[in-house]
Amino acid sequence: MADAWSIRRVYLALYNCILCAGWASVLVRALAALNGAGYSAVYDSIELPLQLSQTAAILETMMNAGIVRSPVSATLPQISSRLFVTWGVLWSFPEVTRSHWLVTLLVLSWSVTEVIRYSFFAAKEAFGLTPGFLHWLRYSTFFVLYPTGISGEVGLTMLALSHMKSSKKYSIEMPNAFNFAFSYYYTSLLVLLLYVPGILR
Amino acid sequence: MKVIVVSRSGREIVKGGIELPNEASVDDLKRAISKRVPKYYASRQRLTLPLRTGQSRPTVLEHGKSLKEYFESSDGGEVVFKDLGPQVSYRTLFFFEYLGPLVIYPLFYFFPGIYSLLFSLPARTVTHPVQKYAMWYWTLHYSKRILETFFVHRFSHATSPLGNVYRNCAYYWLFGAFIAYFVNHPLYTPVPDKQMYLGFGIGLVFQAANFVTHIILRGLRPADGKGGYVIPYGFVFNFVTCGNYTTEIYQWLGFNIATQTVAGYSFLFAATFIMTNWALAKHRRLKKLFDGKEGRAKYPRRWVILPPFL
Repeated sequence: MADAWSIRRVYLALYNCILCAGWASVLVRALAALNGAGYSAVYDSIELPLQLSQTAAILETMMNAGIVRSPVSATLPQISSRLFVTWGVLWSFPEVTRSHWLVTLLVLSWSVTEVIRYSFFAAKEAFGLTPGFLHWLRYSTFFVLYPTGISGEVGLTMLALSHMKSSKKYSIEMPNAFNFAFSYYYTSLLVLLLYVPGILR
Repeated sequence: MKVIVVSRSGREIVKGGIELPNEASVDDLKRAISKRVPKYYASRQRLTLPLRTGQSRPTVLEHGKSLKEYFESSDGGEVVFKDLGPQVSYRTLFFFEYLGPLVIYPLFYFFPGIYSLLFSLPARTVTHPVQKYAMWYWTLHYSKRILETFFVHRFSHATSPLGNVYRNCAYYWLFGAFIAYFVNHPLYTPVPDKQMYLGFGIGLVFQAANFVTHIILRGLRPADGKGGYVIPYGFVFNFVTCGNYTTEIYQWLGFNIATQTVAGYSFLFAATFIMTNWALAKHRRLKKLFDGKEGRAKYPRRWVILPPFL
């Protein structure tokens, strides 16, 4: 029923299982924090597994380019926006973002989506099964979790904007010998604008 | 002869095929097709013979050749049709690419209010000489390009897909704005005078040289655009295949030595990368065509684009 085990298949099976576990850990911890101290404690409870799981998705982009036949152009914008929010907003601007309820919205949306997605792929690679239930779950939860996730991403970025402007973090100012300037604030504004065509698609 | 025209999926593009005299050319066929299906004007058509076993790419029916050369029998044959989409002449493409930078750059120079209005920066209090010269230099460069597009360059039959207009214009226009923003910035730091003169001096010398290369390239091609490939000779072409790109790159280097911006240098690198890819392809093509066998000339040993590196 299942075809032969190859290095590729072992790798994919392991990858998907590990990531499923990672995101499940995020989900469980987030729910525990919600139940306990409340929404402001969510970020601290999930920071490490979130960063690990989200950043590991870079491997996924490289896989899409090589091992798995999947359009890089579809996954790249999504992974980029996730990494931008994880590192460029949440990790970089803790004071304004971490204790906000939008973090809960974001983390729950992401983790539920990813647990479903990775278990679907893990089942496929490890057992050769494509359970209809998981398939259905993936496509039906999308309608709720995609908008809530995007709202979380956009909302948190907007929250951090004024702080980006005042702190001038990651920015280069003129005058300087090479006449270059980089504004993290304006770049983030541009990133927010790019969400619009992404949503429309 | 009778020619059947099918799409890649096997559907007949022209029902019942097309009747043509035995001596008909590829262009005659294309004209006949566009008569029957008006929206497929000739430059939009890509005609190939059906793919044979062992071929990775089908044989393309080339402009200027007669159909006899492609069909085994004089009764005709089958050609596969591909719609390349709306096409635009190179002249049109170049004009719009170059118009953007020509118009956009001076805006940043003449309307420094942009900086305070859009970017809440302090107003420009002093305009450095280098900024003025850079604006003239840039204007000269893109005016030259547009004039060459209309009066110097001889374009082959080739056209470019409409999508390239958007892509290429984005490249030129956005980079133009990017560079203009920084060179005309109120907090711009000029380089020492000697460096500025050196930079613009180099730039002007290579702009002139670049113009000469374009004149030489024009001479390689007959006016009706029918010519095939020829080994270029004269001026820098004697030792570098794409001397036109070489002079263009060094010209931008001159501009950057004088203006010194990250934006300008990144444009130089991007342009060099793109031109190097083109140059490698052209060099390879010429070497393959002029292999010295069967009475053909042998392509001489030359640099590809950037002596002494490549």
